[in-house]
Amino acid sequence: MWEFLIPLLAATVQSGTPILYATLGEMMTEKGGVLNLGVEGMMSVAALAAFWTSLTTGSPWLGFIAGGVAGMGMGALHGFVCISCLGNQVVSGLAITILGLGLTNFFGVPFVGLPAPGFNPFDFPILSQIPVLGEIFFKHDMLVYISFVVPVLFWFFFRRTSLGMHVTATGEMPQAAGAAGLKPRVLRYFAVVGGGFLIGLGGAYLSLAYTHLWTNGLSGGRGWIAVALVIFAFWRPGRAVVGAYLFGGVMAFQLRLQAMGTNLPSSLLLMLPYVLTILVLILSAWRGRRIDAPAALGTNIEPEG
Amino acid sequence: MFKIIKREEPWKWGALVILLGALLFSLAVSALLLVGQGKDVFEGLNILWQGSFGHLWALEGALLKAIPLFLCSLGVAVAFRMQIWNIGAEGQFALGAIGATWMALSFPDLPAVILMPLMFIMAFILGGTWALIPAILKLKLRVNEIISTLMLNYIAILLLDYLVFGVWKDPTSFGFPMTSEFSSNAIIHGIGGSKVHWGLLFCFVVGVGLWAFMRFTRLGYELQASGEGARVAKYAKIRYGMLVMFVMCLSGGFAGWAGCVETSAVLNRLQPSLMVGYGYTAIVVAWLARLEPLNIAFASFLLAALRVGVENLQLELQIPAAYGSILEGLILLSVLAGQFFLTYKLEPKRSQVK
Amino acid sequence: MSELKFVRPARVRSMPEGTQPVVSLKGLTKRFGKVVANDSITLDVYPGRIKALLGENGAGKSTMMSMLAGRYQPDDGHIEVNGRPVKFTSSKDAIEAGIGMVYQHFMLVDSMTVAENVLLGQEGKFFVSPKEMKSRVGELADAYGLEIDPGAYVSDLSMGERQLVEILKLLYRESRILIFDEPTAVLTPEETNKLFEALWRMTEQGKSIIFISHKLEEVIALADEIAILRRGKIEGELDPAAIESKADLASRMVGKEVLLEVDREPAEIGDTVLEVRNLTGLGLHGVDLDVHQGEVVAVVGVAGNGQKALVEAVTGLTKPPLDTVFIMGHPWRKFFAESTWNRSMCYIPEDRLGLATLRNQNLVDNLLLTTRKGFAKGLLLDKKRAEKDTIDLIEKFDIRPGRIHALAWQLSGGNLQKAVLARELYREPRFIVAEQPTQGLDVSATEEVWKRLLAAREMAGVLLVTGDLNEALQLADRIAVIYRGQILGLLSTSDAETPGKIGPLMAGVTD
Repeated sequence: MWEFLIPLLAATVQSGTPILYATLGEMMTEKGGVLNLGVEGMMSVAALAAFWTSLTTGSPWLGFIAGGVAGMGMGALHGFVCISCLGNQVVSGLAITILGLGLTNFFGVPFVGLPAPGFNPFDFPILSQIPVLGEIFFKHDMLVYISFVVPVLFWFFFRRTSLGMHVTATGEMPQAAGAAGLKPRVLRYFAVVGGGFLIGLGGAYLSLAYTHLWTNGLSGGRGWIAVALVIFAFWRPGRAVVGAYLFGGVMAFQLRLQAMGTNLPSSLLLMLPYVLTILVLILSAWRGRRIDAPAALGTNIEPEG
Repeated sequence: MFKIIKREEPWKWGALVILLGALLFSLAVSALLLVGQGKDVFEGLNILWQGSFGHLWALEGALLKAIPLFLCSLGVAVAFRMQIWNIGAEGQFALGAIGATWMALSFPDLPAVILMPLMFIMAFILGGTWALIPAILKLKLRVNEIISTLMLNYIAILLLDYLVFGVWKDPTSFGFPMTSEFSSNAIIHGIGGSKVHWGLLFCFVVGVGLWAFMRFTRLGYELQASGEGARVAKYAKIRYGMLVMFVMCLSGGFAGWAGCVETSAVLNRLQPSLMVGYGYTAIVVAWLARLEPLNIAFASFLLAALRVGVENLQLELQIPAAYGSILEGLILLSVLAGQFFLTYKLEPKRSQVK
Repeated sequence: MSELKFVRPARVRSMPEGTQPVVSLKGLTKRFGKVVANDSITLDVYPGRIKALLGENGAGKSTMMSMLAGRYQPDDGHIEVNGRPVKFTSSKDAIEAGIGMVYQHFMLVDSMTVAENVLLGQEGKFFVSPKEMKSRVGELADAYGLEIDPGAYVSDLSMGERQLVEILKLLYRESRILIFDEPTAVLTPEETNKLFEALWRMTEQGKSIIFISHKLEEVIALADEIAILRRGKIEGELDPAAIESKADLASRMVGKEVLLEVDREPAEIGDTVLEVRNLTGLGLHGVDLDVHQGEVVAVVGVAGNGQKALVEAVTGLTKPPLDTVFIMGHPWRKFFAESTWNRSMCYIPEDRLGLATLRNQNLVDNLLLTTRKGFAKGLLLDKKRAEKDTIDLIEKFDIRPGRIHALAWQLSGGNLQKAVLARELYREPRFIVAEQPTQGLDVSATEEVWKRLLAAREMAGVLLVTGDLNEALQLADRIAVIYRGQILGLLSTSDAETPGKIGPLMAGVTD
């Protein structure tokens, strides 16, 4: 049984990593008060940008950063429409997704099936020797190891830095931030662009580490799952990790089941993550308190005279 | 530098100006992409134009695509008016197609007079139910409808795949995933000799019906009033919960009808290629049309024509079909940005008097 | 009239010759579209003094102070700090110049602690530690004798405590000029006294206070100087010692002899329209109340003492326990299940734009909001008749702008309230619940609303929920004082001792 479970858990970590990056990115954006439904499109574009950069420069690290930058760019676009132009946040996010998926499929055509230099798993010195835990957590590629640190940095940023408090205040009550001498719109831009960076990293992971080939539909709905997970996580990074790995596990399980060959039709198996997302939302709504969400989430900041 | 001032009166022709501006802007930007692909911009634009409006067959094609788009958009608009973000038109469309197929495959020999209405009824029921699920989740469990409707999209498409690869697969199709062709009684035929089918008339009836409903009935009024929020609805003793469910049913039902029409008239069978993203484009259409039925007619024709034009680009210049998505996304973003000017205007800052 | 007692410092507060103003406003003008909110305002603020800014709602007080606080930029004129012209492009600039404002609606983040709120924007460094923030703020609070726990979450604080947090914010920034916008609106008389003492302590440290209010007795008791603002202009400045009476001040403020009083003829008392029997639950404890046709019963108290819960129960928003609320003779459940659109109950909420009206719809659609059943023709609505009736109502109530296609958000506060009143009175109610009906309205609009409410007594009983003691004393036959969900006293307004009793009851002091 262990022979099945441990590799599954290891695959869970790998599979959950892009979701973790994306979830934390969306969480950051939402903590600033901006709802971003463009995650799916942003992850896609970032994946392509990362792939292309790695292919052209030969450096997967440059590709990784490029993915983040692509995410920042799309985030800035969403920010411009919502923050400066006061556009409806829900619709803007959807537009970003439509645009992002379109851009990805448009520019990705020549690359389908091609490989690019990516990240490969290696044994983390010493820690990978730990029985069981070493197998599960410390035999992955570098981006996974980085993803272990990101939630901690996230927590530290928001709870132990002044900038983090400023962003939080903006997401709760932009007028209070303004009255305190801060610039809520600038802070929102920061949240959207910073969050976009993390989302982009998640997308980059997909094309540089999760697989090394370019294919269509790489994001596979993970962007939407990330949005749901932010709610599930009650806007706290610790629970985001739990949620990301939960979905990572389901997706890994699904793949294994398919590979092993089952009687279940593949279509029904593929439904699993989406059904689970709905269940997760039901659970969160049941047990969550209204005070968890940033109070000003989804609203726009009206300009003053 | 500029100062931002709130308008006291809404800008009369603003919506139209913004739409035109957005179109021009998006065409210009996406044309740049053509350059990137090594194609001539003007040739591309010409082909796009020809494909959208230049020929009779283009207009025909646009009408054909406008029909399902119109129905989906009506549904989306009706829900959006109540600030219920129904992103699930795509899935509701699929369920409608499934419902229609079910009837068509089960009763191929019934006379069209009976079979057709049966198909439409079942399409409405399945599409409506698919939308009702997230509605109930929202009302009873406060589940965010954006994500639940979206997840149901994915599930619906997989359901369609499942049926078409499995139980409903046409034994004579050599392994291609599709159902048998519908009997003639189950197919909506073209008007006269043209390819444009009677679905167009159906659209007209539904559109006018919805417009009249919104304008003249009590329920239509309550729907409109609830758009301002659940609190006001409660104050006015409007039964908000019932209204939400009614609206979502309607929304899903309309999308379901779109699926029924497409399956019956255009494809004549159920197959995965049915799903071309009408449900998502419908959101763009609904927003451009500011959620009003009359405008939706124009906007859906416009975006349908664009789709046909992009198909033409694909054919003539081998431009990937995703070009259409890029255009749609850009148009929606620029309209959103432009709508800033409906509520505000910029005035140059006057220098301070010392 | 109600008397609120203040203890003024014994020493005479005069200013040494030649003191320079610490802040000067020179010809400040601000326009919002066609409306000139502030017209060439010139004012001086001196160190260690309290200047009251008095004016009716809409006179331009908040706008002026928002410019001083850096929130708005003036269209003309400038501000001088210590004799030098300055330009505030944001509130940060104003804060750095030593000017701080305590807003009417507190600018506090509920989910953060007191310390985090006080230090927001003032942390001084990138890395922060909650413990260190708590001790810093704790020291400051102790230094000024303010009782507040720096580690408490703002969401748990009372209104008075939240105001202390706002004050702490200004003290931390070492603001030299503190602006208070209607600070006593949310305080009990006791808390108001405490606030005034704190303000005097601050002036002893050389700080200047600008105090915006429309409450005449507070202004007379507190201020060293009174500036009167009317229609965007400074009418004049007064020495409080020179004022003869409240009436004198009121007339200067408004320009005519308006004493904010109204003639109230007692009306004939009819059937019981509301009966609340021993209502316990929803935050209320043993509430007994009854309202009859022909009378006005006022519920007064400091905001947040159960008024909302009572209103929500009575208007059908939340369900009270069985057999506690009876409306027009029927138990709660039955009444709301069977109520008709007219000759029944109507509710005029506090939140005009957000609750009582559809802000983006026109006046016809707003009329239909609660009267739609009256225009029903089967499944349809008789919009033609609705339009006609809307035109009639606009004329009858003098609602401006007078076009039926005007949108709700385009109406001023006074006109909006008149529109809501018109609509609800159209329903020929027998029971009216009116919540803060004249909040934010100017004198003439207030008078009109009062007259209409009193006229409605012919057919209806009115439950008036208000924080304005004067309004209650003017309109009501009986006043119920609510405190922490309990009715502490039911007083008759014909009793001369009533005004004096209300204050202590509002603060929970019973004999």
